[in-house]
Amino acid sequence: MTAHNFETSATNTWCPGCGNFPLLNAVKTVLKELSEGESPTRPENLVMVAGIGCHGKIADYLNINSFYSIHGRVLPVATGIKLANPDLEVIGFAGDGDAYGEGLEHLIFAAKRNVDITVIVHNNRVYSLTTGQFSPTSPPGFPGRSTPAGSPEVPLNPLELLLASGATFLARGFSSQPEQMKEIIREAINHRGFALVDILQVCVTFYNLHKYYAERVYTVEDHDPGDYFQALQKIREWDYGASSGGEEQEKIPLGILYKKEAPTFGQRLSAGGGGSKSATPADREALIEKILANNI
Amino acid sequence: MKDQVELVSGNRAVARGALDAGCRMYFGYPITPQTEIAEYMSMVLPEMNGVFLQAESELAAINMVYGAAGAGRRVMTTSSSPGISLMMEGLSYLSTAELPCVIVNVMRGGPGLGNISPAQGDYFQAVKGGGHGDYRTPVLAPWSVQESYDLTRTAFDLADRWRNPVFILLDGLLGTMMEPLRAREPIPERAAPSWATTGMFAREPGDRAPRSIYTLHMPEGALTEVNRRLQAKYQEITREEVRYDEHFTEDAEVVVVAYGSVARSALQAVRIARQQGRKAGLFRPVTLWPFPEEALGSLSEKVEKILVAEMSSGQMLEDVRLAAAPSCKIDFLGAMGGELIYPGTILARLLEE
Ligand SMILES: Cc1ncc(C[n+]2csc(CCOP(=O)(O)OP(=O)(O)O)c2C)c(N)n1
Ligand code: SF4
Ligand SMILES: [Mg+2]
Repeated sequence: MTAHNFETSATNTWCPGCGNFPLLNAVKTVLKELSEGESPTRPENLVMVAGIGCHGKIADYLNINSFYSIHGRVLPVATGIKLANPDLEVIGFAGDGDAYGEGLEHLIFAAKRNVDITVIVHNNRVYSLTTGQFSPTSPPGFPGRSTPAGSPEVPLNPLELLLASGATFLARGFSSQPEQMKEIIREAINHRGFALVDILQVCVTFYNLHKYYAERVYTVEDHDPGDYFQALQKIREWDYGASSGGEEQEKIPLGILYKKEAPTFGQRLSAGGGGSKSATPADREALIEKILANNI
Repeated sequence: MKDQVELVSGNRAVARGALDAGCRMYFGYPITPQTEIAEYMSMVLPEMNGVFLQAESELAAINMVYGAAGAGRRVMTTSSSPGISLMMEGLSYLSTAELPCVIVNVMRGGPGLGNISPAQGDYFQAVKGGGHGDYRTPVLAPWSVQESYDLTRTAFDLADRWRNPVFILLDGLLGTMMEPLRAREPIPERAAPSWATTGMFAREPGDRAPRSIYTLHMPEGALTEVNRRLQAKYQEITREEVRYDEHFTEDAEVVVVAYGSVARSALQAVRIARQQGRKAGLFRPVTLWPFPEEALGSLSEKVEKILVAEMSSGQMLEDVRLAAAPSCKIDFLGAMGGELIYPGTILARLLEE
């Protein structure tokens, strides 16, 4: 048996120095490990769903089954795939514009349903592919190409929103810390339920925050991710610059911030009613009649 | 059991047709006058090891269909006019990704929120594309409860055969009225087709590559190639899948062209007109795309007049004009805003000289 080759021959068009490179490498390493480990996540069962943006090009750079979806629609597509074939390991790659803007409703509902998928958000806090407009996580005053006078909006804290929405796994990584990214991504994939990983991904071209992050990030310790209120506190510790000002004191927690076991959407579906697979058409007919008689 | 005749609504017949065609996945969002389909699916699918999901929006529903179709399952969504508008984005992608699925529109009055009465104002949207880009979807238009069932089953087969989304256009009248239905032997769900995003046997050298579903074609000429392939497919569909139905057309001097529930009024009017000595006939397109151009074209050479009757301001009318011989006079009888077209109104027009 030969190991699966996760590389593709596509020419990579990300800018040199882009935080998407270490993120891609971290994902590749984790998938390699998982596919070779004790209970391997078989490469043939992996499906990635990519959004549209610079991040979406990852579909070209990772040699697994892939679905290059629609701007904002990673979550419903991933949900459809997972429900269609629960044997598949579905991993979504979305942008901050993609997941937190265009497709925000879907993100909230995927979390609320606890669909068993993993979503990795390449959160560069800018619309990169469209060359630098402000995004849902850009800080106030962000000098983007559509906000010459600075963004008039305050950013969303996506982790806080998702915690409130019922997500069962929330983590934050930083594209310049590959080891930690790997650990988080591995845990997220292994988590049974809806897992979201917000990666602070440096966009060197339109919003280079490398130095800003490097000076502020720290890894959470003595943190109980099973405790909702501790998680909330950690998540609120940094508000994506919403209250910019005392920036010197800002600290950005990284790591697994929340994790909880809960029945997945798929499990709830099969628990409620499902399972009585009628053997013959006649059985089925009788069953349908019974259901309808009871319900209408 | 199968010989039993049941009294059901068109909505119910669609749901039943989908189940009997082996569809086990349904995504939707409530909207009148078709919510009954979703409710039926929610009752029956869990018992059949299927998936029913009430999505957060029609946008979500069509994208879940996108994912499920890509993973190789028979899948359906249903909605009514405003909800179908929201699905147009997904439909464009599904069409070019060439994924099979069935979308049912139980049309209501528009534009805007309109009302919840029967209408046929979404003809252009369904037949001419609707979303962005150069794509087509086969559109089936039943006129009875029985045909709603039959054509739903057909729709799944067409979707698979052509790897294309297929539309079923009903109107609120057909969706909610009840008629006898004779269901046929159900079939189990087919296996996932070879192109589904699953498996790749990548463990041995030489095994096939992973599957990818994408709709972005940036290299020079690539998108042209894709469009050529799609257009060639659409031409083939146009050659092979045209369906229509004719009544009393052999010796007709005047022919009504109508689809869906309007065709029922038209047939009634045609019968009465004949009793009164007017040689009238009915031509009913069953596929709105591909439109039965040739059949209608040759019929138009033999008749004096065509009367197009539809519950819109004249949408199918344009396709009739394109198909008909220049010598043929074309009249139009429309109704908008959720008003029905009754047999008497059509009859009056048939009896006009
Ligand atoms: C419906 C739709 N609207 C707009 C676009 C154009 N568009 C492409 S990528 C993008 C934003 C990408 O931002 P983000 O999701 O943050 O990804 P990034 O490029 O930063 O990785 C937009 C607006 C589109 N493809 N589809
Ligand atoms: S524009 Fe930014 S996000 Fe896009 S490839 Fe370049 S550095 Fe990366
Ligand atoms: Mg971005």
